[in-house]
Amino acid sequence: MLEIENLSAGYGEALVLRDFSCRIDSGKVSALMGRNGMGKTTLMKTIMGLIRAKSGRIMVDGVAIEKLTTHQISRIGMGYVPQGREIFADFTVAENLRLSLLGHEGGNVLTLEQIYDWFPILKERAEQRAGTFSGGQQQILAIARALIGGPKMLLLDEPTEGIQPSIVHEIGVQLSHIARETGLSILIVEQNVDMVRTLADEVLFMENGVIKECCDIEALRQDDSLLHRYLSV
Amino acid sequence: MSELIPIILDVSSYILILVLVALGLMIVFGMMGVINMAHGELFMIGAYVTVAAQGAGLPLMAGVLLAPVVVGFLGLLIEAALVRHIYLRPLDTILATWGLSIALKQLVVLTFGPESHSVTLPIDGSLEIGAFSYPLYRLLLMATSILLIGGTFWLFTRTDFGLMARAVIARPDTAASLGIDTRRMYRWSFVIGTALAGLAGALVAPIISVDPQMGLGYLVPGFLSILVGGAGPLAGVLVGGAVVGGVNNLLAIWISPVAALITVYIIAILIIRLKPEGIMGGRRAK
Amino acid sequence: MRNNLIALLVFAILAAAPILIGGYWTGQLTAYLVYGLLAMSLSLVWGYGGILCFGQAMFFGIGGYIMAVLTKGMIAPELTSSYLGLIAAMAGSALFALALGYFLFAGRGISGAYLAIITLAMALVLERLMNNWYALGGYNGLLNVPPIKLTFFGASYELWDRTATFYAGRAVVALVYFLVTWLLSSAYGLKLTASRTHPDRLASLGYNVLTIRLSVFALSAAIAGLAGAIFVTLDGFASPTLIGFTLSTDALIWVAFGVKEMLLAAFLGAILTRTAESWLSEIFGEYWILILGIAFMISVVLLPKGLLATPLEKLTGGKGR
Repeated sequence: MLEIENLSAGYGEALVLRDFSCRIDSGKVSALMGRNGMGKTTLMKTIMGLIRAKSGRIMVDGVAIEKLTTHQISRIGMGYVPQGREIFADFTVAENLRLSLLGHEGGNVLTLEQIYDWFPILKERAEQRAGTFSGGQQQILAIARALIGGPKMLLLDEPTEGIQPSIVHEIGVQLSHIARETGLSILIVEQNVDMVRTLADEVLFMENGVIKECCDIEALRQDDSLLHRYLSV
Repeated sequence: MSELIPIILDVSSYILILVLVALGLMIVFGMMGVINMAHGELFMIGAYVTVAAQGAGLPLMAGVLLAPVVVGFLGLLIEAALVRHIYLRPLDTILATWGLSIALKQLVVLTFGPESHSVTLPIDGSLEIGAFSYPLYRLLLMATSILLIGGTFWLFTRTDFGLMARAVIARPDTAASLGIDTRRMYRWSFVIGTALAGLAGALVAPIISVDPQMGLGYLVPGFLSILVGGAGPLAGVLVGGAVVGGVNNLLAIWISPVAALITVYIIAILIIRLKPEGIMGGRRAK
Repeated sequence: MRNNLIALLVFAILAAAPILIGGYWTGQLTAYLVYGLLAMSLSLVWGYGGILCFGQAMFFGIGGYIMAVLTKGMIAPELTSSYLGLIAAMAGSALFALALGYFLFAGRGISGAYLAIITLAMALVLERLMNNWYALGGYNGLLNVPPIKLTFFGASYELWDRTATFYAGRAVVALVYFLVTWLLSSAYGLKLTASRTHPDRLASLGYNVLTIRLSVFALSAAIAGLAGAIFVTLDGFASPTLIGFTLSTDALIWVAFGVKEMLLAAFLGAILTRTAESWLSEIFGEYWILILGIAFMISVVLLPKGLLATPLEKLTGGKGR
């Protein structure tokens, strides 16, 4: 469903991604792992059109998206949960969700009931300002905000960063459940091995702006030498 | 006491017009980081729409209704032809819109001549309560301004458009990745800002003399109001407008217009220097 | 080096100008040279110092009024020396700039768009003040400012003659140009660039960014003050229009037409715009200002480096500095 061919992108003159290619199948949860500074966040931002690709192609279901604007990319079904969550702190929970509904008006959006069913805490605190939430609750809101737009694929950038382990596990289990229930594809950038083991079907290892290795999660469960090699865990 | 009430009303009506002008400026500045130096000329063109309407034999109310439409449409053209290309270069927007203000001013001189025009009051009467008397049009002007200011606040704090606009101001990239068309938000905010300027110009036209140079006299106090009040919350404009407009008008009555202008600019500069985030807080310039 | 050669060529062509264009135009060209000096001062503070000043004519006007007041003998009849007037004009403008600059830049400081608005407001205040300062002529200004009187070793010469005045003006402008160019190519120029592009890093290296900003602001003001002082002796009067807002924004247009990061281009921008104005305003009449405004917009949007910069950069080979 997501195919990237010979993508080059970066900041100003400096290229972070050079001739990057990869392929993510639909209906799967793929985890992208690698040390810091290997270009994972740059890749996410380039897919979303927040950084312009210098060259190469990004295709979603056969449609080239590298020239589209960010909101168009969002509307063809790419949900994005950025690093650091970036919820609107001054808005209430309901307003944060409403914003995503407005952005996808006329699209294949989910209902508030559906979201509240998956994440009951959001229903309890619907009128509370999101800025008063803990990191984990903000993360749940950021994921819910992306989901309510009805994406085909969800891009998650370091969702466990700075969140207490119990909520990490809860988020992993719930996302895994949602992916199986709805057939949603997920591409997750993650350093947290537990999260990857809970959620992912396959793991891609990235180094210096290219994919070095790809394996399914069962193989990783039996042999974690890859983790040592690419993450020096 | 009875002499004081008309003064308070005069000052209040000036403050309200200033707030309308500043509100338009701030929507554009807060939203896009664009300093629109031609904002005063758009205000001036709004006033000239009523001059033209009067010349064509239309009632003033037609001019007042037409002004925001004409000026808003002009704003749409300006956004598409000029601002769109440079909104990532904030200092260049100052220069480019400065060029625009020169061109617009001269266009008005060429069309209407350099001399000043007057627009007749649409409502002649006065409100009389005992010994107290005050022109009805000025009361109407104040009521309309309050409605417009309230309406703008309502638009930006209570509607879906306002929710999207505030999201774009706070985190433009995140808003875009949620499917919000930021370019479209910029365009319509710019149009709303310019339409407000045009409407303010049309409303005030019957009580001032309309000439091609009038824009600057509202642009600079308008900006100072924003900077004094703080460019963050909308309420900052009210406070800033009250400080700048109030001090200016009261000193003009009690001392002289020159001393008033000099004093108010210096007070404003002092406040901006000592409290860069403005009285009400908010963001600093980019 | 090539840059200096081009500048020498420009000043050489200017030297030949009076022979070619006759008396009236020589007189006009002298005024344009002085405007060019003002443009250079703005290019220095804006292009090199990174301080967008919307009220550069403040310093021009202050210099002009100081020169007029002194040489007319309004302070004391003994203090009418032209030299003293010029020095006092430069010093007065620089001191005003130091005071204003300290107020604006010290501590958290003000920059960017806020600075533009505040300097614009300051220029409006000063213009309004001069319009109502009746001891200094008020709205009408000061008339009968004497021409510059050059004295060497007892002999003296008054600059009445247009051609002589032109050459004297050209000499001053060329001197300022080469002095500033030399200064910018020294270590000071490097610090100035750093204070514009990476003020935080410069501060962490132990330099005082405030001192550098103040120095460039004052230097630029001194040059503008010198220009103003010369200007009032040309036509013999100092008026509030010299200090105000219109001349400030004219200077911005010239500099932006040239290019702000290049002294010579800013200088030529002023001369060429003024020349074009005096010809084209006859042809186009009232439409000229409209054309100027539109041309300015187009130049900012499409040619952010200025109309003159691209050809000049080719000539000087590369960066143009």
